[in-house]
Amino acid sequence: MAIRTVRVIGDEILTKPCKPINFMTPRISNLIGDLFETMYENNGVGLAAPQVGILKQVVAIDVDDGNQYVLINPEILETSGSQTGQEGCLSVPGKCGVVTRPEWVKVKAFDENMEEFILEGEGLLARAICHEVDHLKGQMYVSLVEGELMDATEEEEEE
Amino acid sequence: MTKEKSGKNVRELTLDILYEILEEGAFSHVVLSQALSKYQYFEKSDRAFITRVTVGTLEYLIQIDFVLDQFSKTKTEKMKPLIRTLLRMSVYQILYMDRIPDSAVCNEAVKLAEKRRFQGLKGFVNGVLRTISREKENLTFSDDSIAFSMPSWILSLWKETYDQSVIRKMLTWFLSEKPMMVRLNTSLAKKEDIIKSLKDQEVLVKESPFLDTVLWLEGFDHIESLLAFQKGWLQVQDLSSCLVGLAANPQEGDVVLDVCGAPGGKALHIADLLKGTGHVQVRDVSEQKVNLINENIDRSGFSNLTAQVWDALVLDEAFLEKADIVLADLPCSGLGILGKKPDIKQKMKPEALASLAKLQREILSVVWQYVKPGGILIYSTCTIDKQENEENMTWFLEQFPFQPVDIQGRLGEKLNCETMKEGYLQLLPGLYPCDGFFLSVMQRVS
Repeated sequence: MAIRTVRVIGDEILTKPCKPINFMTPRISNLIGDLFETMYENNGVGLAAPQVGILKQVVAIDVDDGNQYVLINPEILETSGSQTGQEGCLSVPGKCGVVTRPEWVKVKAFDENMEEFILEGEGLLARAICHEVDHLKGQMYVSLVEGELMDATEEEEEE
Repeated sequence: MTKEKSGKNVRELTLDILYEILEEGAFSHVVLSQALSKYQYFEKSDRAFITRVTVGTLEYLIQIDFVLDQFSKTKTEKMKPLIRTLLRMSVYQILYMDRIPDSAVCNEAVKLAEKRRFQGLKGFVNGVLRTISREKENLTFSDDSIAFSMPSWILSLWKETYDQSVIRKMLTWFLSEKPMMVRLNTSLAKKEDIIKSLKDQEVLVKESPFLDTVLWLEGFDHIESLLAFQKGWLQVQDLSSCLVGLAANPQEGDVVLDVCGAPGGKALHIADLLKGTGHVQVRDVSEQKVNLINENIDRSGFSNLTAQVWDALVLDEAFLEKADIVLADLPCSGLGILGKKPDIKQKMKPEALASLAKLQREILSVVWQYVKPGGILIYSTCTIDKQENEENMTWFLEQFPFQPVDIQGRLGEKLNCETMKEGYLQLLPGLYPCDGFFLSVMQRVS
């Protein structure tokens, strides 16, 4: 397992749609492990394969609810409600912006054993699912920001 | 996606809310409820923080500005609006929120100043706040206006009518924390069942000694999450406003018209008392207000009332002499609800009182005509101002064919006041556990 380099905005790979995964391979299994490791290293709550330069439909999510979610070929089935709040992205370092997302989503995906499952998420999990699924379509949250993109000044060491 | 630090967001959100209210003139209850419904996913404690700091800063604004002006070379009125708002909400936390360490308040304020592109003023923000934190035990307030954060013109207005001890009680009441008051639609469910439902959801319920159909509720996050609310059993309504329904004393089959009814609490109360009979028509001036009424009607499921957009200043020929009861709860200066809408302290100006009293007279001149001979009109306001209340009532009785109705005994056992014999009642907050409220009942002579 390894920490991979996170691609940042401006990199063309982040704008391209990803290909679905048809069966599990050791390479993809490795990639999933690396996604988590890279995400934790950077204090993220979600990371999509294109963010580490792989155009495959897989994302890793951990919003501190005690679960590690792996979504392969995810497809959002239903959404409801709305939430407005700040969002940031490891591919847009040091910035954040206000984005409105559904409050609840229902998504169909395959897990690391290529078994299909349905996941329902609300609040932060719903936000993360939408954010990561967008990455797989080559879309970034910056296009959804209400108002301006702001500097994220939460880290003390920046001063 | 990256993690967001909620503490920071909550403070910044509060800053934005207060900025909108204080610098852009928005109404506190509107901005706050919009923000809270938009950010429902926030933790309960974060939502409580937002409400507490917003309302607290508005309540104590006069005192906060006095403190700031004492310790800052740049006076509040000369400060940059964003910095002014930031300092105001920070001083509130330093003076009134013991659980947050002052150092945290200062640090967060400095960070926010930087984030909002006032890097150059970081030192100023830090210096002023740290000085206030150090000096806060030695603060003294020279007069009631600053000690109770009340505009002096309101104090002088009340001094004409009430003595010092009464005014002090009101001032203390406005600043005290009060649970939410709700009225029960007892035609929909039994009181015991409503209380049980609330207790099942771990709400703290307290009964009122004045009226058995109102309750105080505490310990919940948002009221929309309560089953009893969703089922229409509860209507958020102050004790004082519930008295209108009782004073009206509707009889089954009555036709009732509420001419300025949003959000509909009084009309729903009467619909509840009518037990499905008769008809209540609620009006208000804008679509937005009528939507608010309709939401409440839909929730209650009552079929004997309807809402309609209608400007009370415009005469509706079709309703002439049709109503057994007309409710005229008119726009007023709101000096009785400064505890709930503290921004009124800043927004209301003494010169507005006379023009509000005039507007009330204009509306009354129209709406009395809807009352059937023998029917009644209830004029009420949520203010404490002779001009708008007692004087308007006297004027009304002189102008139109009405006589006051003795309302003794109608408002529950505990509530008794000399003036009720003469058809009116001025409730003073703090003397009674409710808002400041005026109500008068007058009958059209046949």
